[in-house]
Amino acid sequence: MKRPVILIVDDEEAFANNLVKLMSKRGYDIVTVYNGFDAVNMVGEKEFDVVILDMKMPGMDGIATLREIKKKAPLVEVVILTGHGSIESGIEGMQLGAFDFLMKPVSIDDLQEKVSEAYLRKQIQRERS
Amino acid sequence: MKLKHQADISTNQSHPVEKWRERYSRLYRKFIFLTMVCSVLPLFLVGWGIYAYYTGFSKIRIMDYFRTQAEHHREVIELFLRERTSDLQLALFTHSPDFLQQPGNLRRVFSVMNQSSSFFTDLGLIDDKGNHLAYIGPYDLIDKNYSQTFWFKEVMKKGIYISDMFTGFRNAPHFIIAVTRIEGNRKWILRASVDTEYFRSLVENVKMGSTGEVYLSNIDGILQTTPRFGGKIMEKAPLPKGFFDQESGIGILEPDKNGWKSFPRQLVAYTWIENPRWKLVVKQNYDEAFKEVNHANRAALIFLHFSLLIIIVVTVISTRYIIKIIKRRDEETDILNKQLVQVGKLASLGELSAGVAHEINNPLAIILTESQVMRDTIDFAPNMDNEVKNELHASLSQTEAQVHRCSIITQNLLKYSRRSKSRIDMVNLNASLEEVIRLMDGKAKGMGIQFALDLEKNIPPFRSDPSMLQQVFINLINNSIDAHEGKPYGMISIGTRTDRQRDGVEVNIGDTGSGISPENLEKIFDPFFTTKEVGKGTGLGLSITYSTIKRMGGDISVRSTVGKGTQFKIFLPFNPPDDVYENHEELTSPALTNNIRS
Repeated sequence: MKRPVILIVDDEEAFANNLVKLMSKRGYDIVTVYNGFDAVNMVGEKEFDVVILDMKMPGMDGIATLREIKKKAPLVEVVILTGHGSIESGIEGMQLGAFDFLMKPVSIDDLQEKVSEAYLRKQIQRERS
Repeated sequence: MKLKHQADISTNQSHPVEKWRERYSRLYRKFIFLTMVCSVLPLFLVGWGIYAYYTGFSKIRIMDYFRTQAEHHREVIELFLRERTSDLQLALFTHSPDFLQQPGNLRRVFSVMNQSSSFFTDLGLIDDKGNHLAYIGPYDLIDKNYSQTFWFKEVMKKGIYISDMFTGFRNAPHFIIAVTRIEGNRKWILRASVDTEYFRSLVENVKMGSTGEVYLSNIDGILQTTPRFGGKIMEKAPLPKGFFDQESGIGILEPDKNGWKSFPRQLVAYTWIENPRWKLVVKQNYDEAFKEVNHANRAALIFLHFSLLIIIVVTVISTRYIIKIIKRRDEETDILNKQLVQVGKLASLGELSAGVAHEINNPLAIILTESQVMRDTIDFAPNMDNEVKNELHASLSQTEAQVHRCSIITQNLLKYSRRSKSRIDMVNLNASLEEVIRLMDGKAKGMGIQFALDLEKNIPPFRSDPSMLQQVFINLINNSIDAHEGKPYGMISIGTRTDRQRDGVEVNIGDTGSGISPENLEKIFDPFFTTKEVGKGTGLGLSITYSTIKRMGGDISVRSTVGKGTQFKIFLPFNPPDDVYENHEELTSPALTNNIRS
């Protein structure tokens, strides 16, 4: 079976790299970028199943990145990561078509669960289309 | 009961209160002074000014009237004397002395003269030797010789003579009018005695009030008529000398001056009659003369002073009232200012803590993933001792537990700063309280604490945030339990009561714990303020409680006595402000709820 392909977008390199280690061991193919601009480019180059997107980033922020990603790849599911301080932006993200959002600090189990739910929906939608 | 804990604080500071009291009394004095200056003083001055002016004016008028009276009487008397003199002259010049000498003729002339009124008592024709040629009258005077009498000498000199009152041969006070007729070197004199009764009635019958009188006296001060009071005709007039120097005049006789002791103060007008040289005196007690004026003035003054009194009383009362209103306004402003300071403090702290929470969340996330990476590494390590593995796992568990603790703090901070979600539902207050008590019962029993419930039945369910409300109760009861540390037993009383006036419900939570000192009482709602040991409390419980209840449109107040216990009083309105919740309702997504609970 094909491993789900995941893009992690987070300016906290340590956090992103840790997620790569953890998620790889749990059966995902991971690509990491550290800013929104790279993320948009990456989505254009390659097909991803799920994008894990941090909201608060310098330069292009999460919302702008999400908008661009959804333009280039409308089918990709986006799970938003946010601090408590930016719940509002999380909600805005969901209105823009994100699958759901999680709050930092997040346990790996919660993240894995959410990502697999998103992947499932992506599969279902792909079958429909 | 707006924020009673703050009102309690203000009473602890006696300094400003003293200063304020002084300020109010100064304000009070200023108000009174201004009113006096602006209303009482002018009224007083105008009142007294009018009084003085009007009194002077009326006195002048009355004295004028008095003088006029004197003049009028003088004219009456002069006219009378002139007429009588003319009568005599007419008789003497129209009839020859020979004719008048013949028996019966003088009688006829006499009766003609007395036709309209009996002006004369007798009439006599006298020759230049002083002998009576003819006489008509009640006295037997025909044989008298007048050559030595004063009036005979005078009339021989002047031609016409009117005498003063004298007794003469008949021994009764009377006066005479004599006129002369000269023919060649012969002289005749027609002499008449004026009817004393008639003449006196002209003067004495004048009535002026109960103390007014009119009388005549001659140049030597001998009374020519009998005054109504004091003295008799032919006696010395009881008036001081030197008072009547002028031709006419008016003055006030002071009782103490001029040996004028037997009378009260008197108003006197006088005028001199030309011939004979008599003075006419019009006299009245001063008080009576000015009675009307004085009466009117007294009424005016009484009215004036009464008005002044009323103004003063009204001023004092209204000023007191105004000061009271100002005082209340000041107090309200004071409380409001304190509230604003408090709200501002809490708001800025809210902003700060939201920022802090967010910034801390990122490193926490990294630590958590880092520990997860280590767990994975340990699990996949091929040749590692199991004991070492377990120890590392225990250590990582501790790391995760501490991260979790930090994350709870940040969550609390965000709750405090209102960035967290809110769920509105119908709340049954008593059931909610009972649920919390059930939760806390174990902990309380462990410390020997009992709950005493006094819940009012049939409190209607109302719109609120059930979980936040429970959080509030948990916070308060937790604090109450912790306040019993070191005491073997205690009591936490919880009561509910509907407040119909304010359309809400009151919750009272009291304990028998250690109490809160006044200086701490000021700070208990400040974020991060705690008296608990490090690591045991975040100092956010009461801040969250406070902001939650405020958000629900209620209020919370606290009273505490050190060593005896603390009572919290919460008021929750049945109809919370709608806008408070609207911003948060869209946040109730299932994903979010799950995360916050995890």
